[in-house]
Amino acid sequence: MSIAYLTSAYLKRAIGLDTLQQDYAYARGETTGYTSAKKIPDRWVSTTCGYCSVGCGIEIGVKHGRAVASRPLASHPVNRGKLCPKGLAEHYIIEAETRAKYPLLRKNGKLMRVGWDEALGTMVARFREIQLHHGAQALGVLSTGQLVTEEFYTLGKLVQLGFGTNNYDGNTTLCMASAVSGYKISFGSDGPPGCYEDLEKADVILLVGANIADNHPILCQYLDANPRKTVIVADPRVSKTAMMADLHLPLKPRSDLALANGIAHILIRHGLIDRAYIDRHTTGFEELARFLEAYSPDRVSQITGLSEELLYKTAFLYGRARAAFIGWTMGVNHSTLGTATVNALCNLSLLTAQIGRPGAGPFSITGQCNAMGTREAGFTSGMPGYRKFDNAEDRRELAGLWGIDEARLPWKRGLAYPDIIEAALAGKIRGLWIIATNPLVSYPNQDALRQALSGLEFLVVQDGYHPTPTTELADLVLPAAIWGEKEGTYTNSERRVSKVNRAVAPPGEALADFDIFLALAQELGCREKLYPGWRSVEDAFNEWRRVSRGRLCDYSGISYESLAEKGAIQWPCVEGGSPEPRLYSDGRFPTPDGRAKLVATHWAPFPEQPGREFPLILNTGRTVEHWHTRTKTREAPILEHLSPRAWLEMNPRDAKLLGLRSHDLVDVVSQRGRVHAVELRLTEITAPGQVFMPFHFFETNVNEVTQSAFDPVSREPNYKQCAVRVERRERHARTDA
Amino acid sequence: MAAPTADVYLSGEASEAAELPLFASDLVCVIAPSRRALIQIEAEPRPLIPQRPLQPGEQYRFHFDMTKCIGCKCCVVACNEQNGNPAPINWRRVGELEGGHYPNVQRYHLSMGCNHCLEPSCLIGCPVEAYHKDPKTGVVIHDAEVCIGCQYCTWNCSYGVPRYNPERGVVGKCDLCHNRLADGMAPACASACPEGAIQVEIVDIEQWRRDYLSANAPGLPAAGDSVSTTRITLPDNLFPDTGRVDTQRIVPEEPHWPLVFMLVLTQLSVGALAALWGLEWTKTPLVLSKLAALALAGAGLAMASLHLGRPIYAWRALKGLRRSWLSREVLTLSIFAGLAAIYAAGLPAGLLAVVAGFAGVLCSARIYMVAARPAWNSRYTLLDFFSTALMLGPMLVLSLEAHGLDPSARLWLTRAAAAGAACQLLTQALRFLWLARSEQFELRASALLLSGRLRRAFLIRLALLIALLIASLTSLSLSYPVAFGLALVGEWMGRWLFFVSVVPKNIAAAFTRSGRAA
Repeated sequence: MSIAYLTSAYLKRAIGLDTLQQDYAYARGETTGYTSAKKIPDRWVSTTCGYCSVGCGIEIGVKHGRAVASRPLASHPVNRGKLCPKGLAEHYIIEAETRAKYPLLRKNGKLMRVGWDEALGTMVARFREIQLHHGAQALGVLSTGQLVTEEFYTLGKLVQLGFGTNNYDGNTTLCMASAVSGYKISFGSDGPPGCYEDLEKADVILLVGANIADNHPILCQYLDANPRKTVIVADPRVSKTAMMADLHLPLKPRSDLALANGIAHILIRHGLIDRAYIDRHTTGFEELARFLEAYSPDRVSQITGLSEELLYKTAFLYGRARAAFIGWTMGVNHSTLGTATVNALCNLSLLTAQIGRPGAGPFSITGQCNAMGTREAGFTSGMPGYRKFDNAEDRRELAGLWGIDEARLPWKRGLAYPDIIEAALAGKIRGLWIIATNPLVSYPNQDALRQALSGLEFLVVQDGYHPTPTTELADLVLPAAIWGEKEGTYTNSERRVSKVNRAVAPPGEALADFDIFLALAQELGCREKLYPGWRSVEDAFNEWRRVSRGRLCDYSGISYESLAEKGAIQWPCVEGGSPEPRLYSDGRFPTPDGRAKLVATHWAPFPEQPGREFPLILNTGRTVEHWHTRTKTREAPILEHLSPRAWLEMNPRDAKLLGLRSHDLVDVVSQRGRVHAVELRLTEITAPGQVFMPFHFFETNVNEVTQSAFDPVSREPNYKQCAVRVERRERHARTDA
Repeated sequence: MAAPTADVYLSGEASEAAELPLFASDLVCVIAPSRRALIQIEAEPRPLIPQRPLQPGEQYRFHFDMTKCIGCKCCVVACNEQNGNPAPINWRRVGELEGGHYPNVQRYHLSMGCNHCLEPSCLIGCPVEAYHKDPKTGVVIHDAEVCIGCQYCTWNCSYGVPRYNPERGVVGKCDLCHNRLADGMAPACASACPEGAIQVEIVDIEQWRRDYLSANAPGLPAAGDSVSTTRITLPDNLFPDTGRVDTQRIVPEEPHWPLVFMLVLTQLSVGALAALWGLEWTKTPLVLSKLAALALAGAGLAMASLHLGRPIYAWRALKGLRRSWLSREVLTLSIFAGLAAIYAAGLPAGLLAVVAGFAGVLCSARIYMVAARPAWNSRYTLLDFFSTALMLGPMLVLSLEAHGLDPSARLWLTRAAAAGAACQLLTQALRFLWLARSEQFELRASALLLSGRLRRAFLIRLALLIALLIASLTSLSLSYPVAFGLALVGEWMGRWLFFVSVVPKNIAAAFTRSGRAA
């Protein structure tokens, strides 16, 4: 724009001529009704939301090749014409200024723009060199729950068979790994047994450590549609969800396992169990019953801080329900006892035969849009199709399907996410490839992470955005297309596969992750071997259908055509059959003996107890306006406006002792680090002795203080409790009333 | 309630246990009282918009169900998208409420657009008639084409509904998506709400005027200011202490610099003209002062137009004479300026000019005396403005004409100015005491601003008044222009404080807000 033009525009505005009339004009759109004219698109592209795993159908409005609007896909079975605020503003993330547009290679300390050939050539050469000198396992890969299933399937083969390292894990380990491990132990396989409809059909809904009102708001609709329900919410904080409860259990932090065992104790003691089901479909009952004797109501009352009366009420409500649903999220998973707690919750369902029928079941409400896709089709903690590394039959079958020598399949899982970081710290991992995740915000104990990453010889970060705190550290940044710019499928928490479609072209030279993977395979010289004849993501999907055939997560009856026709389809869906809304309806479980396992798991206090120096328990969580590390949502101006920064919740009783006031800027300090200048919020929704902080904000990153403590099975971090103290940094101006 | 004893259940078989009568009645005690409305969920969700046309005597309004709202703010996002507004301009907002003590805590949310009041204070104040209450639907509609961006409506509304958009220079507000409604479509907020907490319904206007109790809610200003029509379903058994979470963050308001200057200049001009008219007995021409008074009035009026988002349309401000004090202010001050010109030309228009000037200052003060801004809504505003005139006017004449005046005239002027300073000092002191002792949040909050963040400015202002008063009484040899300069600075400071220290009524807000953290 010329200076003359700008000057005249400025003068016009200064004297008061309406220069923005057009920007604020309204019009009647054929598909939109009367609305802001600039938001009326030329066409709507239907797809699936790219934030959480609720898996809402969404339409992107495209005008002149740009995404200008988002709206719920009315026909989608999941969200019934609604979206959460993030979904309603999702189009803003596409045109963000911070999108990564070109490959960037660090030269003389600075990230410089390079071509794709140089970028991928360098990447393969550097990784090969590292693997040559330090072994194939010296390469680690950290992926995500954000890609499409086709990409996870492709990436798994590329990493395990192409690069030949099994030190490959996803950020899903920071998120729902405990649910996966728990399901595997209790039921013999991963896979959430229930579906959202169960929230509508249950008469008792027990939510443990799940703040769905903030984190999965669209699921609240299902509760609303249930006229019979009694909602019980176990959460140390009076979350928005706790306010939806008929019965809130304000238990002490990390006492949920004791609560579940205590409920089981009462159920068994008072005969509120289904002996016939237990005898037919489970093992381990006698042992569990003996074990649970230690969880008497008075002891559990002491551990949880809940009255015995409340425990009895909860147990009786649950035990007498015709259909009882248990839902949980990160309150359970983010723990050193995550897997054990999932087992204890599954026990409740099994003891009462509350599984495999409408309204019943233990249901892990997952985090990311396609965490499920990587669980099923990925190749990290297991082989694609829920196959086990150490199962001879699984190995033979998969090798046969792929036409490769069975010996090329790894014999065991490689390092899990935190162990990859540990190995980097120890100098065993020398090269790291991070895909669509931002550990410099999301990983606990940032100081240790920074040390680990600084010791790497070559760090590749593949992301849709740059700069992010993680891409800034990279030696090579690969710009990726994001949601709205590529095609594939997502699978949601209730195992429902939905189509993801391309509405606009990616910016600059950014490529779909799928294309990056194929190009890398080309560079490695294994493209045709790994991906014979593949041209598009649909080729990957069709191979994945074959690979999943006959497995629990059977996709064989799902095709791009049927998805286009029916919108979204749940697995298992056998070719020629119809999709199953629930697993284990017949009481048969994918264990060797076909029975589910009742698992006795002991409660223990969380690892870092508050003491003199660090007297408060820090809890972390989310807010409805933001998604994970805020890479995307901070680019939606309205979301950023509604939630511009982090805060620390503290009970006024604690604040009084510390001489603190609302809006003071405080530092949160633990043994490991310090979060600087967080706005203090005094509130009764957080218990005395506890503080709460959202983790989305890199500017004030709560993971500077969280702990390197991990679940022994799932390797999920214990984000939810650590010991801190709070120091005043800046007094809020004295204007409080 | 006693804990159930173990022997009640012992040896119970599953089938027997299922018959246990326990808890059926007990349960009620532990059910959060708030959500009971949800448990007795209506068999069919209520439609989002009325299913029949309006009858005479009826209008549309919002219904907000606080028991359903989960605070997701979908309504805010949907509203901004619907209207193409930039992120900071929200025609619908969600506030947070909290009460009780852990773990017996209540937290609720309040989602509010425009209340489409029966006595819309925005409309009453508008000088250009940019607002009208649609005779058919009752929707209060704002026309951006007509608006000149004076922002008077934003001061008038107790709910903070009209929002000034600096990018465009005009105000905008929720119009109940009446254009969608006309097409049988729900407003953007209502259709986006995943909980069905927002609906449009029909209200019988006369019946509502008699009983609008359900327009009230914690976190909302009393509905009586403008007879809000929004009906709010509150949870049963709200804790008495459930209220706003944003009261600890009291932020100074916009200073409105052009108005700070304009008010003091016009008041100075009126005061000077009154002093000149009062000096007519001395038979001195005092032409310089008359010209100065005229120039200052002109400068003040010119300043005022700089405050507008659309200065070029300032002339429209005369349209609202029937209702708007702003229109009246523009008219009276313009007449005053005209008469001052005639007077400066040596014609005998002195008395008329003084009357017009006083009317102008009166109108100025009345603009600010609105229910939505409690700290302005008192006689102190009148006293404040007239004291400025009384103090500064004579001082201007003294500094310009000191040598041409005989000692008795100078004494007369000095005493008048001293009286003005004394009035102003008393006004400010009493006003502060009134604010500080008030039970009303907004008034007490204003006092806290004056004694907190704004303390230095407030004290300097008072100190200047005291110094001038002492100087005038002790015949301290302070040169007139210096004294006048100090007084003028003091009054500008005072007017600035007047604008920034007001705490408007508003709906509850969220705890964290855009802008600096603390």
